[in-house]
Amino acid sequence: MIARVAQHCFWLGRYLERTESTARVLQVTGTLALDAGLSAEQCWMPVLAVFGERSNFAARHGAEAECDGERVQHFLTWDEQSPSSMALQLWHARENARAIREVVSLECWEVINELYLWIHSDEARAEYVRHRYGFYRHLRRNLQLCLGLFRNTMLHDAPLDFITLGIMLERAGQTARVLDVHHHAFRQLPAGHQVVETTLWLTLLRACSGFEPFMKRHQGRVTGDAVAAFLLFEPDFPRSLHYCLKSAHRYLLRLRPPGTQGAEALSSRLLEQLRPEALSHPDATVHGLLTQVIDATTDLCVRLSAEFFGQVDMLGSQSAAQ
Amino acid sequence: MRRMAVPGLLGEYAAAPGTFDELFEAAGTPRPHFLRTLGLLGAQDREDFARLQALAERALLNQGVTFSVYSDARGTEKIMPFCLIPRVISATDWAHLERGLEQRVRALGLFLDDVYGPQRIFAEQPELRHFVLGTKLYLPQLKNVRPPGGVRIHVSGIDLIRDEQGTFRVLEDNLRTPSGVSYVMENRIVSKRVMPEVFEQARVRQVDHYPARLAETLRAVSPEAPERSTVVVLTPGPYNSAYFEHTFLARTMGVELVHPADLFVDDARVYVRTTRGPRRVHVIYRRIDDDFLDPDAFRPDSLLGVRGLMRAYAAGNVTLANAPGNGVADDKAVYAFVPDMIRFYLSEEPILEQVPTYVCARAADRDYVLDHLEHLVVKAVDEAGGYGMLMGPQSTREQREEFRLRILAEPRKYVAQPRIELSSCPTWDPAKGQVAPRRVDLRPYILTGPQGPWVLPGGLSRVALREGSYVVNSSQGGGSKDTWVQRGPT
Repeated sequence: MIARVAQHCFWLGRYLERTESTARVLQVTGTLALDAGLSAEQCWMPVLAVFGERSNFAARHGAEAECDGERVQHFLTWDEQSPSSMALQLWHARENARAIREVVSLECWEVINELYLWIHSDEARAEYVRHRYGFYRHLRRNLQLCLGLFRNTMLHDAPLDFITLGIMLERAGQTARVLDVHHHAFRQLPAGHQVVETTLWLTLLRACSGFEPFMKRHQGRVTGDAVAAFLLFEPDFPRSLHYCLKSAHRYLLRLRPPGTQGAEALSSRLLEQLRPEALSHPDATVHGLLTQVIDATTDLCVRLSAEFFGQVDMLGSQSAAQ
Repeated sequence: MRRMAVPGLLGEYAAAPGTFDELFEAAGTPRPHFLRTLGLLGAQDREDFARLQALAERALLNQGVTFSVYSDARGTEKIMPFCLIPRVISATDWAHLERGLEQRVRALGLFLDDVYGPQRIFAEQPELRHFVLGTKLYLPQLKNVRPPGGVRIHVSGIDLIRDEQGTFRVLEDNLRTPSGVSYVMENRIVSKRVMPEVFEQARVRQVDHYPARLAETLRAVSPEAPERSTVVVLTPGPYNSAYFEHTFLARTMGVELVHPADLFVDDARVYVRTTRGPRRVHVIYRRIDDDFLDPDAFRPDSLLGVRGLMRAYAAGNVTLANAPGNGVADDKAVYAFVPDMIRFYLSEEPILEQVPTYVCARAADRDYVLDHLEHLVVKAVDEAGGYGMLMGPQSTREQREEFRLRILAEPRKYVAQPRIELSSCPTWDPAKGQVAPRRVDLRPYILTGPQGPWVLPGGLSRVALREGSYVVNSSQGGGSKDTWVQRGPT
């Protein structure tokens, strides 16, 4: 497989996954804000933090706007100056797909292309104003449709492996950041407000599409530690860090170019760190573990770009859009 | 008897006087071969048709059947305007075209072999020597290099027009990297999807096997055994206006689409860089002009090329399709000599007519051209895409004067032809919401392997969408139609 094509596959997977994740977090937060009894800032500031956009946002709108849900949503949906906006991410996704149209199945290409055309249409603007929930749902459904079509319309071969590798590494990063930010924010709340706290942990699960899977494992017993452990370690939940990184590791082994092993070694070490025992030490914290995992995932992506694509600076979104 | 009962979509259609209409003999009277098809098509009212037309356009946009607009930094893409009313060709007409195209492509192939070999034709046609050897299109380094498989014009697109009498005439040969065949297949997909009933009744020959035939043709000319050959499509990249077609062909042939930077040459062999190391490439269907193929051989400033590619080609280790250097055979001045080539190489009379051409390098022709500028179409031999032309009958005095001076300064650069009244075809005019006559041409595609040429039964019908226009190029307001070649009697 051509290295350039592999790189586009990888970034296509990442951008699609990232866009779906953005739409999901915005959708869930919008629902939470309606009745959780939290201040607007407690709702929306963490969203900016998840996407690493607090300073970017503050530079454009001022830090006080962090409590303005409308501005935060607009920033993360439409603002093409914001690298995290879905409009821009979809453009990147489509550019990557367009660069490898002979590789992506026609069905997948059509979904990506139609969604890109849609988000730039008046229809989408109107839906955003009229029915916000429906707007996010339209995006999420089509992105999920595309992720499903990959598996069902393409050869299970190197190109799909690279797409899936991108999806899994992106998803690991998203879950880690969502968990880290919310875990931190919830710990700041005054203790003892059981109802609010439960609502928040459930929201966190929903932001990771994990509400129902969690309930099936825990039958209604919701605690912060259980939710964190579920999102970190649950082997059968497709968005847990364990699941994502383990499956990324499998693809790395399959795709590994002859004579390289750096990425594979990093990935093995990462899986070693990510065990339930890691939290049993008295000084260990969820935040500490997540920081380790996020840093190690970043290193892994750099290494992987160097070994698989022959590039050393491929983490920036500009270069991915070539 | 043949008058259509239902007025409907085509009821008020009338071709312009003095033109040949592809589908109608006279107002209200379809040509007999197309009676049934037009009856079905015409049974719809305008509103129904407008809806189908919108559906078709939406489908093309969603599928990304687009071309890039060069001037836009963000790479804006447009769909090639498409008219759902097909251009239909009878089985008899097609059989004639097929034979004529095969003959022409065979003669042009022999001409190229001769030019890059013994150059026998110059003894008989001394004028040709200058037009061939005196241009940049001739590549002297390929003299006596025989391409693998012996084929030079693997893919050609021959532009045809139809005159006032309905006679098909060759307007132009495209023997380098003719584009548009993907639209033939995409237009067909849309026609079948949007109006299946009409299509089914029309008994149309298929076009969707083209990619398989192309892949077979390319493998057959590989320097390696066909089953062990790696074929790739070489594109300049996503910002090229024909990028959609490059991806289409790679996808439908199941071969890799490569950029120049994906290839490299080592020891006169071509390799593609893969995630698992270099892999040998045997056949390159290249959609890059000669000039940009290899910076070592052509333009040192080119960032596009593959360094050393021409060395590998000359060594016989890689097939380039089409062969470099074909430009000497589809040049506008050389065109005037093609009927003589057919006689010289094949000892046959040309089956297809072409447009009478005055070559300004000849004193007699030049004088005639200068005296009749207002009746002629003057073309610069090195321009394509409808640029660098003088349309005499529509020109102003200043424009004619400008061309007069240009011809006198560089007579060899110009040829002139009488303006042929292009045939028309019923075409949807979205602004008026009705069907009106618009001028069309036809580009059939011919694949040539070691066994000889094969003509795809169909082709790209380009249509000048603007009322009164003769220019069918997509860069200047042209669109396309699906071309339905009828099945013969079974």
